Amino acid sequence: MATRRIRAEWIARMLVLVLVFGLSAMALASRWINRSQGIDVHARMPEAGGWSPTILNVDVGEPLNLRLISDDVVHGFAVGQSNQPPVDILPGKVAEVSLTFDDPGTYTFFCTRWCGPNHWRMRGTIEVNGPLDIPETSDPPPYLTLGIDLDSPHEVPVDLVRRPSAKRGAALDFDISEEDYLTHDHYLSLSPYDTWLAVKGLPEGSQLSDSEIWDIVAWRWASNTTSEAISTGEELYAQNCAACHGQTGKGNGVFARLVEGDTPADSSSDFGHKIVAPTDFTDPIHMLGAAPARLHGKILRGGMGTGMPSWGQIFTEDQIWAIVDYLWTFQFLNTNKE
Amino acid sequence: MRHKQTRKQIIEIFPRQSWFWSLIGVVSLGIVFVPIPSTFSQPVEKTLRVEASTFEFTPAVLSVNPGDLVTIELNSTDVVHGLYLDGYDIQITAQPGQTAYLKFVADARGTFRFRCSVSCGALHPFMIGKLKVGPDLLLWRGVGMAVLAALAAVWSFHSWSAIT
Amino acid sequence: MVRYNLIQIPVLRTLLTNRWPQLIIRALALAGFLLAILAGFVGTPVGNRNFAIIMVWIAWWALLIMVAVPLFGRGWCSICPIPIPGEWLQNGTILGPLKKKSGFGLKMRWPNKFRNIWLQNVAFTVLALFSIVILTQPRITGIVLLALILIAVGTSFIFERRTFCRYLCPVGGFIGLYSQVSPIEVRVRDTSVCAGHKVKTCYTGNEDGYGCPWGIFPGGMVKNTNCGTCMECLRTCPYDNIAVNLRPPGTDLLQLRGRKLDEAFKAFIMLGSAVVYSVVLIGPWGALKTAAFAVGSFAWWGYALSFLAFVYLLLPGIFYLAVRFISQNVPGKRKPLRMFTEYAYALVPLGLAAWIAFSLSFIFTNVSYLWSVLSDPFSWGWNLFGAANSSWTPYFSKYVPAVQVLVLIVGLFWSITVIQRISGERTLSEYKPWRTWPVVAYSAFVTVGLLWLLVG
Repeated sequence: MATRRIRAEWIARMLVLVLVFGLSAMALASRWINRSQGIDVHARMPEAGGWSPTILNVDVGEPLNLRLISDDVVHGFAVGQSNQPPVDILPGKVAEVSLTFDDPGTYTFFCTRWCGPNHWRMRGTIEVNGPLDIPETSDPPPYLTLGIDLDSPHEVPVDLVRRPSAKRGAALDFDISEEDYLTHDHYLSLSPYDTWLAVKGLPEGSQLSDSEIWDIVAWRWASNTTSEAISTGEELYAQNCAACHGQTGKGNGVFARLVEGDTPADSSSDFGHKIVAPTDFTDPIHMLGAAPARLHGKILRGGMGTGMPSWGQIFTEDQIWAIVDYLWTFQFLNTNKE
Repeated sequence: MRHKQTRKQIIEIFPRQSWFWSLIGVVSLGIVFVPIPSTFSQPVEKTLRVEASTFEFTPAVLSVNPGDLVTIELNSTDVVHGLYLDGYDIQITAQPGQTAYLKFVADARGTFRFRCSVSCGALHPFMIGKLKVGPDLLLWRGVGMAVLAALAAVWSFHSWSAIT
Repeated sequence: MVRYNLIQIPVLRTLLTNRWPQLIIRALALAGFLLAILAGFVGTPVGNRNFAIIMVWIAWWALLIMVAVPLFGRGWCSICPIPIPGEWLQNGTILGPLKKKSGFGLKMRWPNKFRNIWLQNVAFTVLALFSIVILTQPRITGIVLLALILIAVGTSFIFERRTFCRYLCPVGGFIGLYSQVSPIEVRVRDTSVCAGHKVKTCYTGNEDGYGCPWGIFPGGMVKNTNCGTCMECLRTCPYDNIAVNLRPPGTDLLQLRGRKLDEAFKAFIMLGSAVVYSVVLIGPWGALKTAAFAVGSFAWWGYALSFLAFVYLLLPGIFYLAVRFISQNVPGKRKPLRMFTEYAYALVPLGLAAWIAFSLSFIFTNVSYLWSVLSDPFSWGWNLFGAANSSWTPYFSKYVPAVQVLVLIVGLFWSITVIQRISGERTLSEYKPWRTWPVVAYSAFVTVGLLWLLVG
């Protein structure tokens, strides 16, 4: 009787040990095995640390397996200057990504979902190691070759009666000679106001009203883009720019209120430094004096202490131009060719 | 002993006769089911701008009339948020800079909670607002039932006291 | 009064007296508890994807408040994992006694001064003040669970029996209070058998079981409050004199013996915190939520002090005034404080209803997280049952408010019938139904407030 009870007691103890500690031990063990399947990359709001780790290393041609994990809110993952669609990282779910790089170099990965006022600071780098065949040389951006000082003022004294329309401009059937105005370099380096002045100075131009000349400028601008570029730009703008510059381009996005009203000292706390209000793209005085190369340069380089991020590591050349094209739609109507 | 005597009285659970409980039943059915015509209003298109920030909706209480074609414009001001509307079981997601639109016909009357549907931090499950579609009948019927329950509970002890 | 002894059913008798079913459930609960602690510390910090948060504050809480307490009273206590390691060490065995005097511990007596539930009231209040943080942050939940089990082990090392459960556990206090409504009770069948039993094995223990872990003598038991339904007395009674009865719910509330001020206050603490949570968690006021979350901040102190003032002063204060009003019209000069204690027991059904109604607000909304959390408890990318990627879907969102109304109305009706009976207890010959109106109005007012907060 007593021995049977003692035996039962021991069976019970073993059972309890196995059940109670077995489950936890199994969980930890499989966690340990799981680690070899990829690198855990944690995503946190920038105020809480951003990416962890922020630097990843991989060899050319080798797969980089990442397990993306959000520890707070929705984040996204993408590698800069690539056309691969971003991966959403939903809190508490593991998003697995496998990347293979063909060329050595330093790549930027970044968060693609707004996760606070400092969202754009949430970036990290991937060092791709390998023999460097050709030393990489990239063309300097047009604002440098054209000698545009991005930080110089470019307000112009315009007073529009109506919004310039590319459609009306095309209907005017105005002939501008190719060598003067249709070259791409010319388009890049001249602001709409420069072009407007030039057209006004032409003999044919003197017969047109100011508004009609603006329509011609709008048409001129429209002829330098495509509807695909504009819709790409629209999408990129909505994802990356609208939170500050506003969905209507008025510079009144949800984060713009961090500068409004507050003293600069207060507003700096969210960004870590003093910032200025986002540009209003619907303001002709500001926009019509800016050459496309200037806008391109501002996006590429960023605002240097204004709170405007630098996008050079993020967007491809085509993407930046698509955004520039889209920005003009805040000034000009019917910009699409159709 | 007084103690024992009390015990005996307590045994009777519902001391009143059945006609009393039938009456209470009829009145409560009335409170629950009597149709209360809401003041008729021509359905209109109604657009409501709602801002979502951790962890609140602003404005948090919305009112529309039954039948209105409602559009909720959801604007997130910090991180990705969502809006799930109880009762209607519909939802949208918005990230800062990209307004999301939730369009529906407010055909169900009452007060409905809406809540954030995308994890947005610690208090995410308690990020809650209310949509009022017409008068809150459930609340008023509930209050009516509470009053009736209170009266009935006290009143049912009338005959109990009569016995004692 | 009508009773049905469930022990007459052979299957139930076997299930309840045999040690294996209870041991296995306890071991599973303990394993789950350790997993929850582990998940709290090493799992994702995202609360709604963490096993600790969802398992404890959705699954366990739902079962406790909506099923276990209303139906089985302290049923949860009989399988609760928190005191188990301590109790096993105390006994030296896990499957029944083997020999006398085994086990570890000093087996000291709990001081008389603290033989009440005031410490439990304080423990619950402290947790309640931090609850917004605890129930949303896996790490904090992990710390709280770990602390509870460590304190429980420490307590059973120093003190005898289940001192932790009876006098310290923050949850135990209200389970005891609300267990009075349950339709299940453990009682002796014939008190004279106990009176004639010299050894009282139910209290001292014998080779078939341990002496009552809760330190009570079943023969003198009139209420569920302190009975942990652990079934030890069922095993140790040599005369088969212990019954597990099915009974009319709420019987204990009319029990004149054992009404105490500490328990009366528990009724207000519970009712009050249900109201505060309905305001803070279910209400549309974001600033309140942030204040309650920002522990230590100025706003949080405001929240904490308001919480304390509402629960400890305002709610019982108005009730006291209402009772005092009644006492002036009652023949034979009753002390208002004594009447306050007695009438407070009438708030038990309403308090439980308030907690069920409040819990309904978030349980059906969030229970769908359980499927993904069971498949991937730590958010490490597992998929044990194939539901790791199931999305969040509120259930029955159309019908939950109506159920909440129903629950509150039933609670109110029940509470008022108890008020009337308590009113009749001592003044039966001069019983007047409407004399209780201030307390009735108080209960109705609280109910209407909760209705507005939860469904309005």
